[in-house]
Amino acid sequence: MKSLLVATLIAGLALLAPVPASASAQVSVFACEPEWASLAEEIGGEMVETFAATNARQDPHYIRARPSLVAKMRKADLVVCSGGGLEAGWLPQLFQKAGNAKAQPGGNGYLMAADVVPVLEKSAALDRSMGDVHPEGNPHVHLNPHNILLVAKELSSRLKALDPANTAYYQKRYEEFSRHWQQAIGRWENQAAGLKGKGIITHHKAWSYLINWLGLNLVNTLEPKPGIPPSTRHLEDLLQQVRKVPVLAIVRTPYAPGEASEWLSEKSGVPAVVLPYTVGGEAGITDLFLLFERTLGRLRETADAQR
Amino acid sequence: MRKSYFAVSTLFFAVFSGTYAMAASNPDLEALQTEIRQMKQAYEKRISELENKLAKLTVAKTETTEMAQAAPDGGAGKKIHGNEFNPSIGVILNGKYSGFSSDSSNIAGFGVGEEGERGREGLGLDESALNFAGSIDDKFYGGLTVAVVREAGEDKVELEEAYVQTLSGAGLPQGLSVKAGRAFWTFGYLNEHHTHADDFADRPLPYRAFLNKAFNDDGLEVSYVLPTDLYTEVGGGVFRGDDFPLGNATGDGGGAWSAFARLGGDIGENKSWRLGAYLLSGESDGGRSSNEDAVTFIGDSDLYAADLRFTWAPTGNAREREVIVQGEYFRRNEDGSYEDTDAGTGAVAFDDSASGWYAQAVYKFLPQWRIGVRYSLLEAAGAPAGLAGSALDAEGHDPEATAVMLDWTNSEFSRVRLQYNHEELSRGQNDDQIMLQYIMSLGAHGAHTY
Ligand SMILES: [Zn+2]
Repeated sequence: MKSLLVATLIAGLALLAPVPASASAQVSVFACEPEWASLAEEIGGEMVETFAATNARQDPHYIRARPSLVAKMRKADLVVCSGGGLEAGWLPQLFQKAGNAKAQPGGNGYLMAADVVPVLEKSAALDRSMGDVHPEGNPHVHLNPHNILLVAKELSSRLKALDPANTAYYQKRYEEFSRHWQQAIGRWENQAAGLKGKGIITHHKAWSYLINWLGLNLVNTLEPKPGIPPSTRHLEDLLQQVRKVPVLAIVRTPYAPGEASEWLSEKSGVPAVVLPYTVGGEAGITDLFLLFERTLGRLRETADAQR
Repeated sequence: MRKSYFAVSTLFFAVFSGTYAMAASNPDLEALQTEIRQMKQAYEKRISELENKLAKLTVAKTETTEMAQAAPDGGAGKKIHGNEFNPSIGVILNGKYSGFSSDSSNIAGFGVGEEGERGREGLGLDESALNFAGSIDDKFYGGLTVAVVREAGEDKVELEEAYVQTLSGAGLPQGLSVKAGRAFWTFGYLNEHHTHADDFADRPLPYRAFLNKAFNDDGLEVSYVLPTDLYTEVGGGVFRGDDFPLGNATGDGGGAWSAFARLGGDIGENKSWRLGAYLLSGESDGGRSSNEDAVTFIGDSDLYAADLRFTWAPTGNAREREVIVQGEYFRRNEDGSYEDTDAGTGAVAFDDSASGWYAQAVYKFLPQWRIGVRYSLLEAAGAPAGLAGSALDAEGHDPEATAVMLDWTNSEFSRVRLQYNHEELSRGQNDDQIMLQYIMSLGAHGAHTY
């Protein structure tokens, strides 16, 4: 036993020698979700080394504060997350365990997207009988491209503050991204004009910002209450509702279980659609441009097929 | 599959499932439309602000350096959520029905403390706890947990935790943190966790025998996370030495110390592991009493432990399916003397070691349902002649227990569990146990620890 302890200690100390950072990467970015990792790469280019704590197959509400994340957090210069309570179950644990003085709440190394964009669904009176609601409003902010722009701006000023030597570099990349992104928004808004007013059903309220941006109409969610899995009873109610109101699609994220939406789709004839939700949510969705491109493309195809 | 899941759900826990509200009514829709209008206005305002700023940038490029030096927006960008001025408050409500087939429940060969004993039979409250925690300022974090437990026919208030801990702003070297006060210290896997977070309705045998459920002495602990890609943490502490597995350390009140090391990492995207080794050493000069004060140990104890935990999300999403395998091994060396007043042994010199382990697997087969199985085994020290026939004489029997559980988690705040145990804790003893338990929490959001 004593020898096991000693062996582990030695193994630990052997790894103490810090791994030399590659010469070009200046800022180590810990992104809670893939969309923010992708944005950090857009703005930071080769001056940042980015790590995404979750992938598109994982539900960002339910992540364990596992050892590998503590190790990554320990070394982060900048933490970029959705905030707004999305990571309430695990991000505070990581902060507490990692003892990272560089990226602490309140400093330049701590950026929560929900703090810099207009947050939807803020409610004054809350009760847990409403489900596992997000008390600070809906934190799934990245699906409105205008929000991406606001976070990009804040991200660029944080990078400049953390790595002043490369200020011009970050500014240039931000301006470039901003220009391309605004052009893309114009294009997307034109393309999506026909979607305005269409009804959709979503699994979780993970789509509120997309719905708000495109002027869609959220008919209902498969979850009877946030965080509570669909029940048979709720699904029967939904079926009745879908028969009265026209619905374009039943939308879910790649991480949401498919049974409920497939059941409702089969009974009602409304197509069940998995949208990528974030970068990596589908093969080939390697950046934020492609994410919105594919999301709109899929919704338009669905609308065209119903015409 | 889904149909049968719902059927089972309704059948077993009809009491706990509520009725769900129908679709949004018209007033709701109107409120939503108003909100959307407001949001649109907010967006338009922000976008025009942004456009103005962009225009300024292109007009005067010299301004860029100035802008870069300006600190990020003092207002919106600096909020700390969930950490406002008031501490977060959590209330744990916990109740259980237990049925046992055997009258006796002594763990042969071990001196067992009050909290390590078998629970109460019949209906009863389990530990009800009140927890406060929050950042004290930019440098310190604090927490307090008070539990109300039923012991010897009385409701007793126990101070389980009262600690302060450094935050990353405290100016300590990167990766270093210090915790002081009373806390569930770093030792094995379960010790750090509150019992309401456990995967089973009771603690496994080694925790009952060696730790009297948990080690939460008064003391101070330092931990250091190394700057490595592989998670590596080393640390240690000094303690008063009053709590199991020590007891009544006399003198300067620094009668115990600990050391630990942990490694951990991921295997691919869906598997994760952690391995740890621990040592807790101290003296019980004033005597560690157990078995309702009948058994007393005076002397030095060294308790070693090793733990391994492995989690796997077969579908890639742990919310949906998850497998957790975990095991811990303990070994205790004692050098001193034991006395069992019930058996009238007098103080008998003792220098020997005892060991024990458990292994468990829990499978989340549906988002709200989990099954689990656990096996625990203890191996007592051979009793010296003077202790023959006393509580410390296992008569060659190794106490063992098997548990099977099924639990249903409605939300992150409520869980109902059914558990069956089979225990053989002394020679010839056979105890079939059934437990039905609820664990609910009010207030603060639960933590998803590893
Ligand atoms: Zn959510």
